[in-house]
Order: sequence, then C-alpha cells, then structure tokens
Amino acid sequence: MALEIVVMIKQVPDSQEVEIDPVTKTLNRMKARNVLNVADDNALEAALSIKDKVDAHITIVSMGPPMADEAILECMGKGADRGILLTDRAFAGADTYPTGLTLAAAISKLDHFDMIFAGEETSDSSTGHVGPGVAEFLGIEQITYTQSVRFEDGYVIGERELEDGVEIVKAKPPVLITVRLGSNIPRRQTLRKKIDALRKGVESWTLQNLGIPPEWVGFKGSPTVVRSMKTIKEKERSAKRITIEEIGQMVKELSDSGVLKMEVKEQ
Amino acid sequence: MTGLINAVPTDKPDEYRNVFVFLETRKGSVVKSSLEMIGIGREIADKVGEKLVCVIIGNHLEPMAEEAAKYGCDKVLGAESPDLEDFKTMPYAHYAAEFISEEKPNIFLIAATHDGRDLASRIAVKSRTGVTADCTVIDIDPKERILLANRPVYGESTLAEILCKNHRPQMATARPGVFKVPDRVDGKNCEMDIRKVKVDPDLIRKEIIGFRPKEEFDITGADIVVSGGIGLGKKEGFSMLQELAEELGGVVGASRPAVDVGWIERDHQVGQTGRVVRPKLYIAAGISGKAQHIVGMKLSDVIIAINTDPDAEIVKYSDYFINDDVYNAIPAILKEIKKLKGEKVEEITT
Ligand SMILES: Cc1cc2nc3c(=O)[nH]c(=O)nc-3n(C[C@H](O)[C@H](O)[C@H](O)COP(=O)(O)OP(=O)(O)OC[C@H]3O[C@@H](n4cnc5c(N)ncnc54)[C@H](O)[C@@H]3O)c2cc1C
Ligand SMILES: Nc1ncnc2c1ncn2[C@@H]1O[C@H](COP(=O)(O)O)[C@@H](O)[C@H]1O
Repeated sequence: MALEIVVMIKQVPDSQEVEIDPVTKTLNRMKARNVLNVADDNALEAALSIKDKVDAHITIVSMGPPMADEAILECMGKGADRGILLTDRAFAGADTYPTGLTLAAAISKLDHFDMIFAGEETSDSSTGHVGPGVAEFLGIEQITYTQSVRFEDGYVIGERELEDGVEIVKAKPPVLITVRLGSNIPRRQTLRKKIDALRKGVESWTLQNLGIPPEWVGFKGSPTVVRSMKTIKEKERSAKRITIEEIGQMVKELSDSGVLKMEVKEQ
Repeated sequence: MTGLINAVPTDKPDEYRNVFVFLETRKGSVVKSSLEMIGIGREIADKVGEKLVCVIIGNHLEPMAEEAAKYGCDKVLGAESPDLEDFKTMPYAHYAAEFISEEKPNIFLIAATHDGRDLASRIAVKSRTGVTADCTVIDIDPKERILLANRPVYGESTLAEILCKNHRPQMATARPGVFKVPDRVDGKNCEMDIRKVKVDPDLIRKEIIGFRPKEEFDITGADIVVSGGIGLGKKEGFSMLQELAEELGGVVGASRPAVDVGWIERDHQVGQTGRVVRPKLYIAAGISGKAQHIVGMKLSDVIIAINTDPDAEIVKYSDYFINDDVYNAIPAILKEIKKLKGEKVEEITT
C-alpha cells in the first residue's frame, strides 16, 4: 500500500517585501506578494524525496484565504498528488490552538496517513507551535526541527538539530515531522506536473466539511489575543568620535564601568 | 491524547495560583536557558506573592533538582523514570500536563529552545489553553494576575503584547539569552517532590538512536567579541584581532565577506546568516555596518567601531568611533590595555 503523506503548508507575505505602515505601525500585507512559506517548501522537499524512493501519495493541506490555492498548486507542480484548502470566514483570526485544531480535523477526515510534514515555523507568525499542536490533537508522536529525514524498514529516522548537536530519532508511523528552514534545496515545478495540477485543481473545504462547531475555530476559538503593538526602539548610541591618542581614556572608561575586566593575576 | 477538542475558558481562574517553570536538562544538568526562566519566573511570582515551582522530567533527577533550587524556587516537582532518560515528547508532555491538572498553576514558562517549543504547544493543547511563543519581555498585571507576554514580530521591528485572559494556565515560551540567570546561592529552602513514575508503554513511540555533539566554535556566549571585516584587507589582520581578543578574554567574530574570502572559518560569522551575539563589548574593525551584519550584533552593550570611512553606516550603531586605520587602532587598544593591567599589578604589589 502506498505511503500516505500529508504536508501542511501556508501562504505568507513575502518577507522581503513586507512593509511596516509608518502611521499604524502594522504590517502592510497588501503591498507584499504572497509566497509559499520557505520552511514549508523544505518540508515538501523532504516528503518528495521519500516519494522518490518508495511508493507514496502526498496530500497538501492548508488553511487560508481562497487565493492560497496558488501556493497549493505550486506544491502540486512539484509533485504533490492532491491539494486541499481549508477556507471559510469562520477560520479567520485563529491563533495556534484553533489553527492546529482545524488542520487536525481536516487530516483526520483523510482515509489514512503515515506521516505529516510541517515547516519548523512560518515567517509571519514564527511560533513553530502549529505542527506539534496538530500531533497532539491526533495523538501521534513527533520529530521536530529535522535537517534530514529518511524512511527505512518501516521506520522514520529524523536528524533533529538541537542547540548542542544533532539528535537522531527513530519512530514508527504515524508521526509528525517538522523541517528546518534551508535544510534542503527544494525542487522546481515541472511543466507537466503544473498542467496536471491545474487539471486536477484544489479541493476547497469549509467548516461544514470538518464537522466541528464554529466557536471552536478562528478568532472565537483562540485563547490568546493581541492587546497592543509597539515599534521596537533601537538603542540610541552616542557615536563618540575619538582619536588614537584618546584610546587610553576610552579603555579606562570601559574598565571603570566594568565592561572590561582587567583580570590581574596575582604574582 | 487530547482528541479534536477546543480550548476552554477556565471556570474559576482565581483557583489557579503560582508560577511553573519547566527545567530542560541535557546530559545530567539543567540548561542555562531554564535557569533564565527561574529568574523571570521568580520575578513575576514575587510580584503577586505566589510560589515558583520548577517542573523536571527525566531520570536521576535529584542532583539537578538540588542545583536548580540554588537559583531560587519554592518547590521542585519531578517525574522520574529510566524511560524518561531521553527527551521524548509524548511522555514528557503527559507528565507536565498531569502536574498542571494537579497543581493548577496560573502561569507556565518554558524556554523557547527546540525541545522547549517541541513540548510547549502540546502541553497547552492538553490543558486546552493558549501559549505565546518566543517572548522577550514578560511581566504580570499585579491585580488581575494576567501574564503580559511580549514577543517581537515582523522581523523584530514590532513588539506585540499578547494576553491569555480566560484560559489557565497562561503559557509562554521565552527566548533564550534574554532573561538573566539569578545568582546561585547555597542552602535555600526548597520543597522536593520527585516521584518515581511508571510510564505507560503506549507513550513510548520514539527512540533516540544517536547524537552528534556540535563541534563548531560557539561565539554566542562570549562577553567580548572582536570582529573583523573586509577592511582588514588580509588574513593576517585576524591574528591581530585574535591577540586582542585573548588579552580581553573574548573571541573573534567576522563579517560574512571576510568568511567568504577565507580569512576565517564560518562559525565566527556574525549576522543574519551567522550568529547573533550580545556581548558586553563588540568591536567592529573594518566593517561597514550593513543591515545583515547589524542584526547580529546590535544588542551588544557597548560597541566600538573602527573605520577609515567617516560616514560608514556602522558609525550610528557605535558608542565609540575611531576614524582611523585598523592597523593603527587595534595595536593602540592592545597597548593601552596592557598598560592599564600593568598599573593594576603595581597597585597590588606595592
Ligand atoms: C541574504 C544576505 C545575508 C547576509 N548575511 C550576512 C551576515 O550574516 N553577516 C554579515 O556580516 N554580512 C552578511 N551579508 C553581507 C552584508 O550585506 C555586507 O555585504 C557585509 O556585512 C559587508 O561586510 P564588510 O563590512 O566586512 O565589508 P565592506 O562592506 O566591504 O566594508 C568594509 C569596511 O571597511 C572599511 N575599511 C577599509 N579599509 C580599512 C582600514 N584599513 N581600516 C579601517 N577600516 C577600513 C571600509 O571603509 C568599509 O566600511 C548578507 C547579505 C545578504 C544579501
Ligand atoms: N494556516 C496554515 N495552514 C497549513 N499549515 C500551517 C498553517 N499555519 C501553520 N502551518 C504549519 O505549521 C508550521 C509552523 O507554523 P507556525 O506555528 O505558525 O510557526 C508551518 O511551517 C506550516 O507547516
């Protein structure tokens, strides 16, 4: 039986183009182009490289506005087999809890799944909490922050990047895997797959398809709220211009203020 | 397992008291970022007169619990089993959530390390509450006991304040390296409640089969970073910086182009595609101060820039600006430091 792989992707404003509105201090998303979240592209590539070796079927699942189907079509153009967009006004304004719940509800409607891939985080909300949330709702184990993933003898083996090294983890499917930004080089779309993708199209699912109450999702279902946004002020620095002759004075100032520790070994 | 179920507002939020902090451990010791959580956790617990409880999960916990207590907590709550020796998400999240339902904490802080983030949202979902990611400013409203969780967004340009008013516990992960490690004091009073547990075999679904320790040179912890850029003009410039760094007890950093031309290894690179450092003193020698470099060092306490160009962008990020050749300025700094140390030696010996 083919391995069933789900890849969760999100369309985000291109971070290179995002502008902060100088008056309202909020993100001016209207100006930015929308793109596939880069870490999700890496997650898709990790899934596709498994499909290169074994018989596998890849379903893309994304929650977002109707235009997010572009990002899903892009994934299909690279080799994903099916695309599902969860789109409904009720989903708007979700924090990580209902986002995970909505995605998990959709995934649980699929006949079967062996692996779920997600990016390590998105560029617009950068929490990294959605992937593990989905794993919790579905009651499965997870391997997060992977820089490489392989499927061998029925096991998923992931190399996790930690602060002090790389941990190698082995788990039996079903398992959720999150993939490090930049951990692989995503392939390009091919013309044939692109045409196939357009022919197949993206399925659009609403709240009704998921069978969960409207107050569980979107803004209403979110335990956290943003109370305020403040511009972060850069620290003011004096840029005191000094000459070579004044360096002695500077060193003394830094020593007196404790920035430089003049450790003197006792003789 | 939580199942497909919503977050629920807590009926009686007043019953939720005290601050939980998760202690992450590596190879038998508590990681530094968790000690930072004790610091900020203690601060907010004191503001509302509540207790600070450290949660620790693993094996052979006693020495680590004793050690954590020296940084100032009222209680250590632990789950101990050989099955918990390695970090495994499902059993770890299980015991953390059990401790929550038993003790009803108002707040739960976890360092936003990879393992910390791996765990945090699973614990939140289990407890049907919210969690704010990667906070850099944390406070508490002393009257309502609402956690004020602030996190940078939009490429660090904006600070968003996020509240979780109706759900308990109020959870947050906090960025490592931002909060202070409290002073270590021997003989503090702390209640120890470490329980031997028998882990449900159904929770053990992954196995750690290997570990490759990082061999890279790590510049992020240093108090002093002496960095060089293209302005050094040649590889030998870095030997000069190395000598100054050694004299100051610091490390050498570099701009990306200096790494690209092969004057120094990649693990010394500061910036967007290198490391982010926040030392007490940062010296930028022959570095122009492009945005991608600045994001890696702008949080340093004091910045000295050395540049022949009086209008280089680095100037506005500097506290001291030496408008001269690096080959004049660096030896002069070195000389002055040796001189000052010499004076101190005399003070001691005479
Ligand atoms: C996607 C991306 C990511 C990047 N990531 C990073 C990153 O992580 N880190 C990073 O550093 N850069 C990064 N860069 C590159 C960055 O944009 C700049 O090109 C780089 O920081 C400039 O390095 P520099 O200051 O050493 O060189 P230059 O810009 O060439 O500046 C050299 C400076 O030295 C001065 N100088 C020359 N001779 C002397 C002398 N004898 N004495 C004193 N001063 C002298 C000059 O006046 C000049 O200001 C990135 C770029 C991109 C596009
Ligand atoms: N709206 C969404 N639709 C599909 N996947 C998502 C969505 N939001 C987040 N994800 C997935 O969860 C990962 C982590 O996102 P975040 O927690 O927002 O940083 C992303 O890289 C995606 O794989």
